Amino acid sequence: MSELKKIYPFAALVGQEEMKKGLLLNAVNPKLSGILIRGEKGTAKSTAVRALAALLPEIEVVADCLYGCNPDDITTMCMNCRERQANGETLPRERRKMRVVDLPVSATEDRVVGTLDIEQAIKRGEKRFEPGVLAQANRGILYVDEVNLLDDHIVDVLLDSAAMGVNTVEREGVSFSHPANFILVGTMNPEEGELRPQLLDRFGFCVNITGIIDPALRVEVVKRRAAFEEDPESFADRWEAEQDKLRRQIIEAKALLPKVQISDEMLFLIAGIAIEMGVDGHRADLIMMKAAKTMAAFNGREEVSEEDVRQSVDLALLHRMRRKPFQELAVDRQKLQGVMAGFKHSHAHNHAHSHAHTNTVK
Amino acid sequence: MNKFQRLVYPFPAIAGQERMKKGLILNAINPRLGGILIRGEKGTAKSTAVRALAALLPETEVVAGCLFNCDPNDISRLCEQCRTLLAAGEKLERTSRQVQVIDLPVSATEDRVVGSLDFEHAIKHGVRRFEPGLLAQANRGIIYVDEVNLLDDHIVDVLLDAAAMGINVVERESVSYVHPAEFILVGTMNPEEGDLRPQLIDRFGLCIEVEGVRDPGERVEIAKRREAFDADPMGFIARWAVEEQAVKDRITVARQLLPKVTISLGLLELITQLCLEGFVAGHRADIIMEAAARTIAAWHGREEVTEQDVYEVADMVMFHRIRQAPPPPPEQPKPPEPSEPAGEQQEEPESLEEPEPEQAPPAEQADSEPEKQEDEWNEQEQNEQEQSNSPPAVPQEIVFAVGQPFQVKRITHDRDRILRKGSGRRSHTKTASKAGRYVRSTMQRKNDDLAFDATLRAAAPYQVYRRREQIAIAIETADIREKVREKRIGNFLLFVVDASGSMGARQRMVETKGAILSLLLDAYQKRDRIGMIAFKGNTAEVLLPPTNSVEMAHKLLEELPTGGKTPLSAGLTKAYGVAKTQLLKDPNISPLLIIISDGKGNVSIGSDKPLKEALRAAEIIQEEERIKSLVIDVENKGFLTFGLARELAHSLGAEYHKIDELKADTLVQAVGRAVSRE
Ligand SMILES: [Zn+2]
Repeated sequence: MSELKKIYPFAALVGQEEMKKGLLLNAVNPKLSGILIRGEKGTAKSTAVRALAALLPEIEVVADCLYGCNPDDITTMCMNCRERQANGETLPRERRKMRVVDLPVSATEDRVVGTLDIEQAIKRGEKRFEPGVLAQANRGILYVDEVNLLDDHIVDVLLDSAAMGVNTVEREGVSFSHPANFILVGTMNPEEGELRPQLLDRFGFCVNITGIIDPALRVEVVKRRAAFEEDPESFADRWEAEQDKLRRQIIEAKALLPKVQISDEMLFLIAGIAIEMGVDGHRADLIMMKAAKTMAAFNGREEVSEEDVRQSVDLALLHRMRRKPFQELAVDRQKLQGVMAGFKHSHAHNHAHSHAHTNTVK
Repeated sequence: MNKFQRLVYPFPAIAGQERMKKGLILNAINPRLGGILIRGEKGTAKSTAVRALAALLPETEVVAGCLFNCDPNDISRLCEQCRTLLAAGEKLERTSRQVQVIDLPVSATEDRVVGSLDFEHAIKHGVRRFEPGLLAQANRGIIYVDEVNLLDDHIVDVLLDAAAMGINVVERESVSYVHPAEFILVGTMNPEEGDLRPQLIDRFGLCIEVEGVRDPGERVEIAKRREAFDADPMGFIARWAVEEQAVKDRITVARQLLPKVTISLGLLELITQLCLEGFVAGHRADIIMEAAARTIAAWHGREEVTEQDVYEVADMVMFHRIRQAPPPPPEQPKPPEPSEPAGEQQEEPESLEEPEPEQAPPAEQADSEPEKQEDEWNEQEQNEQEQSNSPPAVPQEIVFAVGQPFQVKRITHDRDRILRKGSGRRSHTKTASKAGRYVRSTMQRKNDDLAFDATLRAAAPYQVYRRREQIAIAIETADIREKVREKRIGNFLLFVVDASGSMGARQRMVETKGAILSLLLDAYQKRDRIGMIAFKGNTAEVLLPPTNSVEMAHKLLEELPTGGKTPLSAGLTKAYGVAKTQLLKDPNISPLLIIISDGKGNVSIGSDKPLKEALRAAEIIQEEERIKSLVIDVENKGFLTFGLARELAHSLGAEYHKIDELKADTLVQAVGRAVSRE
């Protein structure tokens, strides 16, 4: 636990509300599939990601499984766990925190996807799979600092496994596949180059953060930072109550989430936004919907409100806007307001969809 | 071995995307269609659909226990083992199994694709045994490559070889083996990430392009279903089971009907005509179109192909092969819309060979008198400057807008040529460093980059003879294998831009910026590294140090002001320095200087005349073989032209182009060519 104390408390982060919201929502709902945080140097991007780790909820795992399989869900279990269960074994359980696994920019492909277990081969002459980073990241967060500097072929591998939540290995004499369902969290400084559009789309959310301008807040940042550096433990202690509040909020939201309903009205609003704002594919709709539901859960409500949708638009849309070459990532605020207002307007006149208020997705 | 797989979203639950679904179903009915390539923007359920297809595939008869799924009814294509059994007078035992979809991940190494020595077996028994790879598993099945455009070239070669012959010939690592490998290739890709090699494209029988659904109701339905699946996959699958079974049954019926389906002579002629009009190369398209038309007739439960059937499949067959869009069918209720990108694909390899760029003709320049020209020109320059200076309020520096980018064409053929030589995204290089993707192994020792799996396989067969203590395997020096890696390195495109006053004179800069923009667009897709140097006044300045950020380059381009004299030699010298430094950092990179100027240098660094100095700098650059260059002449067509840029190109040994003659395709091709030149 003392390890954790050395991490700057999430609750003590000043400003950057959009980023904090994005991270917290991901802690509640892993299906949001992560967040990309773009910003200049010194904007506390990686501090925030590390801080999130301390707030992550506990999950139920098979104690001795490398992939941290969920003992209650056979459909996502690795082959080994499935076999054990089929053989009548009671899988040993354990509760542990969701992990944050680092993917260093310098990582080699074999370390990422896994490779032939050299020790087993030499000692026993047997072919065994040695799991890599993707295995560790299953059911956790895969964090890539400076994700835009990642080698192309590592990105290819990430895309491959992120798409289906499966890591398929056909290399170096081993043939293996295992669950690799991770939340992708990346930080980057756009001055050092952009991400490939395909990888960009894999992040559920994206935020642009800039340095804080408000002088009072800036002073607060410096003060807290200094206090933390001087005595991390007592600083953490002072924030413990706030931290605990967040932790509880996450756990409660997680429990509430399956009950959250979204009306057709809101679904049409979301589809309308995606169409009018011009995004590629359908992932934006899905993420907006999941984000809005998670937002409602986070605020303790069982019904998605228009405000929930509004709150999730930016996070889901920013990086999915179809843009002209080299155009900067940005959401056209005026247009968005127009779309949302227009929706209200048409909705007032046309109740075609409102009968579906109760017809919600189960 | 049983592989981990997630629960798959049911095929009939995929909302919309009717053409993609139809293309997949046609392949499930008739394997002779040769697979399908699905191109489209991200997030359009491409890979979901392919995975869902697996559940719909029919059962086929196979020889029980055969690693290659041999067909007991076709003794002409049996594997060695089955042949041996048969020769020994034994009966091949039959069993029925569903056609398999084999995943080929982009990280695959060659040994797993073609198969290799089974080292476990070799260690234990001292016997070499072939361990089948993905090509064996995929015999009579489907190979699926998600993000197929990201597959390594070497693996692509292996696939193409096997696909062409229908067999996999393994001659590696002291294993020698041949087995049948007839498979259908199914690929999905996002064209934003670059395109496929033409030979690989041609391997796909059908090709369709998908895009996002525009109808709000349908989008809501998509989102709802997906959410319902995520919440309770098992329940969702169960709810769709009946519909799924219905599709499966219909496929089975169509399969049985297929051999009976006939096509009239008239429709065969129509097919030939469509292919001819589309300038489709070879006869493959005709054959596939005929088969596809019959298949769709079977799907509709008919024994006779209709004209409508032909039109329904025509663009799936021709989309990736045509040089001209198919004509809209006469009086058809739903004409196959020739999708827009089809037009862009019209380029075929031949056209590459045509308009060879103007080479700087040396003879013309031989007796020219640079100094005299220079003087003449300086006079003109002065006049120009006087003119432009005469109105009092004209600022020295002007920022011109960025001209319209030319539409950037696909340059797959270019890329292919370059690939053969083996150098990026634009070209691939066998890297000497330990970075890059491990694709195969070699006996050559030079990098200290141990390929452990290959080394094991090399050592394994001898283990029964070697002394081993406490370990299962003893490795000797002769066993050591090293990794051969491929790394995509883009090229380094260094723009050397003349930003002097003369460029501004007649809004030349607007066009110049447009030209740079179109090259930047292309560089973006290929992830080339880029840099920018501008020269004006008395100096050259590195505006953009080598970077991958095309956005930055574009921003700088927008802000680039013009004005003042033309320090051409300073620009060239600076460019040389930057390129050399880059080569030091990464010896694998191939720098290309793209010099955009009228060549009218009028400021020198040293004591030489400006033009002489510039030509000397050019010669120095030419001597460095690794640096290639390309000159884009922006001199105005006019009463008096000097051809100085052409002369500069000659000294650089560079390709030369006048900006007016450049359209995007030729421009991009020119860059491709310059990069690939030895
Ligand atoms: Zn497990």
